[in-house]
Amino acid sequence: MKNLLQKSLKQLTIYAFIVFALSIPSYFLLVDWIWLKELDENNHLIAERIENEFNEQHISDEKLAESIQFWNEIQPTSKIENAGQPLTKDSLYTIRRKNIYATRDDAIDRFRGLKTNIKINNQDYELTIETNVEETEETVAYIAMITLLFFLILVIGFWILNRRLSKKLWQPFQDTLQKLKSFQLNSQRPVYFEETDTIEFAELNATLDKLLQHSITTYKNQKEFTENASHELQTPLAVLKNKVDILLQSNDLTEKQYHIAEEMNKALIRSSRINKNLLLLAKIENSQFDNSGQIRFDTLVLQSMDALQEHFNEKKISVARDISSDVEVKGNGGLTEALINNIIINAIRHTPPAGTIRVALTTSVFEVRNSGEQALSTSLLFKRFSRMPADDSGGGLGLSIVQEICNLHGWQVTYRFENNEHIFKVAF
Amino acid sequence: MKILIIEDEKELAKSIVEYLSEEKYLCEVASTFTEAMNKIDVFNYDCILLDITLPDGNGLKILEELKKENKQDGVIIISAKNSVDDKIKGLQTGADDYLAKPFHLSELTARIYSLIRRKQFNNSNTIKQDDLEIDLLAKTVVLNGKAITLTKKEFDLLIYFIGNKNRVLSKSTLAEHLSGDFADMMDNHDFVYAHVKNLKKKLSDGGGEQYIKTVYGTGYKWEG
Repeated sequence: MKNLLQKSLKQLTIYAFIVFALSIPSYFLLVDWIWLKELDENNHLIAERIENEFNEQHISDEKLAESIQFWNEIQPTSKIENAGQPLTKDSLYTIRRKNIYATRDDAIDRFRGLKTNIKINNQDYELTIETNVEETEETVAYIAMITLLFFLILVIGFWILNRRLSKKLWQPFQDTLQKLKSFQLNSQRPVYFEETDTIEFAELNATLDKLLQHSITTYKNQKEFTENASHELQTPLAVLKNKVDILLQSNDLTEKQYHIAEEMNKALIRSSRINKNLLLLAKIENSQFDNSGQIRFDTLVLQSMDALQEHFNEKKISVARDISSDVEVKGNGGLTEALINNIIINAIRHTPPAGTIRVALTTSVFEVRNSGEQALSTSLLFKRFSRMPADDSGGGLGLSIVQEICNLHGWQVTYRFENNEHIFKVAF
Repeated sequence: MKILIIEDEKELAKSIVEYLSEEKYLCEVASTFTEAMNKIDVFNYDCILLDITLPDGNGLKILEELKKENKQDGVIIISAKNSVDDKIKGLQTGADDYLAKPFHLSELTARIYSLIRRKQFNNSNTIKQDDLEIDLLAKTVVLNGKAITLTKKEFDLLIYFIGNKNRVLSKSTLAEHLSGDFADMMDNHDFVYAHVKNLKKKLSDGGGEQYIKTVYGTGYKWEG
């Protein structure tokens, strides 16, 4: 993954490269055209000067022929020839040949030539002038070098600007991103975005703000609803429970009726449990617990195991414990107790009779292992009311509560299945 | 014994009255804050059942008033809130016990029984029941002059039975009582059977009469 500016930098660099590459032939053609044009003009001027200079001498024709011959000898790049007929049109040409003045033998130069008609003593002469002009490849090379230099300056400039821009221009965006990353719905703390004068970022912040506000409100309402609903259910449940208690005391109750009442009792216990757990979950999520106390984790684990001893015995579960002493953590005592109980009870419930449970505690990890046959689905395990197919009992909230308690304390609860053992681990 | 039930939920109050009346308790009901204040002003009660959330006031205010007037009435808070804070606040204000709704009437009866015992026999907290002598503080049981050793759970069970004499206690009710906070998490109530069996055995081994009877196959009753 690349960041946005790096991506645009790449495109810009490619575009700049194409533009600069195309500019090389354009510059060359332009420079060459100017060269030739200037040289042609220069050649014409020279031709005019030669014509004028010869005419100003006012010499006889014999002398003139002599002079021209002499002139031709000392000016090898130019030539004055007798023209049988006057040239009607000047001709321009470019030629590549050896430079007669050059010291090196193999030096080939480019020349711009002009053939024109001059009149000396009213006789037509054909004048040829050749002027050295820079070679094509040399011009191209110089232009390419300069272009490349500018291209490099441009790319380096882009790169530096880019770094500055990404820091400065994108700063509000980075700020927003950072705040969104640290946002937690259940903490219910609204997010305040930094003021920005960039339209796009301001719009983004406004939209996000609206979205977050909406989420927070919805979440709050939903939690309040759960809490209120559970709370309102307590009283009718209490009435029902008490009515069943009274029913059980009737003298004319038959055994069949007693069993019906007892079944009602069990169902009531279950509904009270679900209700109580929902209420607890709502309270944890509403952060109604203080988690800043110092608790002795080892003591709580031992207490819980003592209290549950009879249930271990009942199922003939063998228990192994490896509990470090003096494990002190920061948290809420009541909730931590509930966490430990829930994990151990969960283990008892799902251990086959005569199975094993191993409880281990170190200064940073609380781990409960129990024997089992099949790995459980990690995605469903901590979800509310998502029961394992084979499990028809339990409220389906025990592990959700464990997770919520861990979230509140900033602990990590994980599940894994290894060597026929379910392992629940809480890291704090 | 006089008991005041401060509870705005009529059906709940009615059930409590019906259940407790069989125990020779004299029950009065107050369904509002004002009514309750009027009653405690005039009368003394052995035990007050106090609902905290009343339509016209907070039950804790009643408790504060009782303490201010230095009344000796025992108070059990019955609350639908069941929050630790509430419980601590109630007990700190001077309540003797706290019971979260929904509760079993047998649980309430046992709590009232223990509370009245504690209030009436301040230091020598001993219950004499048939040929049993139970010291509530030392948690010891003497049967026919001989001490018998009970586990914590068995002792608890014994007190519960005695507090609910001649009442049918179903297995699930006992399970809820015995395992306290865990009750609602355990689905298997067979451990109740084991505890009751052990208690019965210890009582009969000590030469006691068999007071605990099995009724309807899975229920129990202390007859005495």
